[in-house]
Amino acid sequence: MFTAPPSRRTLLRGALGLGTAAALTACGGGSTTARTSGDVTLSLWTHDPGYEAFFRKGIPEADRLTDFRYHLDVTRAGPADLVTKLLAQAVAGRGTPDTIGFEIGSFPRMLRGDIAPRLLRDLTPDLAAVPGLKDDLLPARLAPFGKDGKVYALDSDTPMVVYYYRDDLFTRWKLPKSTETWEEFAELGTRVHQDHGASLCVVSTAGSDAGQIVQSFQMLLYQRGGAFFDAEQNLVLDSPEAEETLRFLCDGLRTGFVIDISDYYGAAMQAALKSGKVVGLPMAIWYKNYGLIANVPEQKGRWRVRALPRFTKGGGVTAALGGTGFGVVKDKANTVAATDFLLKTWLTHDGQVRRFTETGYLPTRRSVYADPGLNATTDDFCGGQHLFRLYRSLLPDVPAFHQSPDQSILFDVLAGNLLRAYRGDATPRQALKQTAADYRDQAGR
Amino acid sequence: MTTAVAGPTRTDDQRAKADTAARRPRRPWAPYLFISPFYLLYVLFLLVPVAVSVWLSLTEWVGLGTPHWVGLRNYRLLATDISFHRALGNTAVFVLVAVCVVVPLALLIAQALNTRGLRARDLWRTAYFVPIVVSPILVALIFGLLFDRQFGLVNSVLRALFGTGGVDWLGDPSLAKVSIALVMLWRWTGYLTVFFLAGLQSVPRELYEAAAIDGAGRLRTFTTVTLPALKPVTAFVVVTSFIGAAQIFEEPYLLTGGGPAESTLSVTMFIYRAAFQRQQFGYAAAAAVVLFVLVFGLSQLFNRLLGIGRATS
Repeated sequence: MFTAPPSRRTLLRGALGLGTAAALTACGGGSTTARTSGDVTLSLWTHDPGYEAFFRKGIPEADRLTDFRYHLDVTRAGPADLVTKLLAQAVAGRGTPDTIGFEIGSFPRMLRGDIAPRLLRDLTPDLAAVPGLKDDLLPARLAPFGKDGKVYALDSDTPMVVYYYRDDLFTRWKLPKSTETWEEFAELGTRVHQDHGASLCVVSTAGSDAGQIVQSFQMLLYQRGGAFFDAEQNLVLDSPEAEETLRFLCDGLRTGFVIDISDYYGAAMQAALKSGKVVGLPMAIWYKNYGLIANVPEQKGRWRVRALPRFTKGGGVTAALGGTGFGVVKDKANTVAATDFLLKTWLTHDGQVRRFTETGYLPTRRSVYADPGLNATTDDFCGGQHLFRLYRSLLPDVPAFHQSPDQSILFDVLAGNLLRAYRGDATPRQALKQTAADYRDQAGR
Repeated sequence: MTTAVAGPTRTDDQRAKADTAARRPRRPWAPYLFISPFYLLYVLFLLVPVAVSVWLSLTEWVGLGTPHWVGLRNYRLLATDISFHRALGNTAVFVLVAVCVVVPLALLIAQALNTRGLRARDLWRTAYFVPIVVSPILVALIFGLLFDRQFGLVNSVLRALFGTGGVDWLGDPSLAKVSIALVMLWRWTGYLTVFFLAGLQSVPRELYEAAAIDGAGRLRTFTTVTLPALKPVTAFVVVTSFIGAAQIFEEPYLLTGGGPAESTLSVTMFIYRAAFQRQQFGYAAAAAVVLFVLVFGLSQLFNRLLGIGRATS
């Protein structure tokens, strides 16, 4: 029987129907049936190209240790933008990454309400499933990314705070390189400022970056034994330790032992380093790469690292500052694959060793600090110093660090009050009291 | 005998009308269909977001999950929030700078650029317009370097000229506001100048000739000829400057981050901070509604005072 060919209109209607169906399919949430093996392309979001390189290099190891064959689709954006984008995509119901890196200062946003439990996989059972792993991981680096006893991200670093100094100038000016206490060191710094116009300590006054202003104070506060928040996320800033630390910095600014710089990482710091106005500063271990090498590569070989001097009244010889936690977005087809990938690249012994050698970030597993290879490494920028050995000796002193969803409120109000104290418009006591009052006024709105 | 009364004969005009009626389209909704895209977009991208914002302002929402209804709580909190009051005060200062400094300055520059016989006129115009096309990020970077307390160019110049420097342009709460105002001045004056220049060029030359014959001096000519002629342009520039300054975000965000001590925090930065740093979307929406009401109300007031949109007699 002869059948008439379909008319042009019929064909067009058919094509329209097929197109609509395809579009609706594409707009769907996609399958959430978990992949358990085979080829998988993980969507990874990070702010740091160093992490991208690390994970790409880790693919063969992950392929060998898991049932997956990994490919990475990497998206890079600013730390705060990553969280914003993640939340926006989560509201949209699609387009979320499989793995995402949270810069530690941006993570508190995830702690607000039930965002973290709703979006991120609780990694606690995964860590518990690997014999000995949970006890080997440093609690100080799990706490900042946890809530209600659950771990939502794994830190990239144990970013200890150390003291950087210009070895060549210390030698030329006949300055001791192992002053015991901050108090003695401040006296030394006063003389250095009087004799050479240089400073041995820095505070940031970057108006546009409250986090940076707070950092300067935060490092020494935690070293002194103080804190911003306790484990229950209560504000504990208004303490004698905080007042002592802030007074120490304010006094240092008057004597010239401390210099205020508008930006730790930008042109102002570069000029200060190049001109020899700053010849030493306390900062986290990553500052060598992001602050010194980036700004004064020509000073290679002249810098050294040592432990911070102690405060006479108590505290340790280090603190921790910064870090980036990698989390896994839950209830996705690639959730299991992403978790496996993280565990088999980020948390293996070899992975943690590679993380230090390739990115300069310290291991978050205690056992890795005994690695002979790491202990034998030397650092060219620091004149061939065995930095890892120093870091290993500081490890027991790394203080606990807890975050709160209201942390950005604290940073905003604290930054302003710190500047008032630095300028002498408020006493350290008044600045801290005012900070606590402002925080209470705004938190939880 | 009956007399037949002849009806009125149809004129050509009436015939034409009848023909037009006969040809009237059978689809009276067609014009509405043509104008519907605008209304559709208006509803979708203006009315719906405004309605959602108002609804959101009555809830507490972290950005994910279900918002919790809290009624007017967010507005009550805003009424006692010192940060919000600071943001309103700072924004008012920026608005005053925009309306009372930038606009008059733009008018004066336009008047100067409109002077007869000015050489390299196009070069001047371009130079004044350039700041507005420069990326705000670049502006912030450059001014950050200029205003740096220790190593900035401004302080270096002050040191070289007067032997005094070390002015904390971005770190001192009062000076930070001044710095933002200076950036606003640099960035927006040239842009507004273009509007005034266009207005000046449309003022009839005869008016100036008449004023000259009457013996009016420059100032008199400016106040009696130029200013009245520019009234519609001025009104437009004042209202748009007001709306723009009331929503200022880029300059303080990039240059000072709202600091130090919230001395340059604007209302839009307050909204951004609440929503995207503190995950308080309901609170941010309430602040946005307050800003909307203020800007809308005041711009309507300006419209009435300046007679925008009214036909001139």
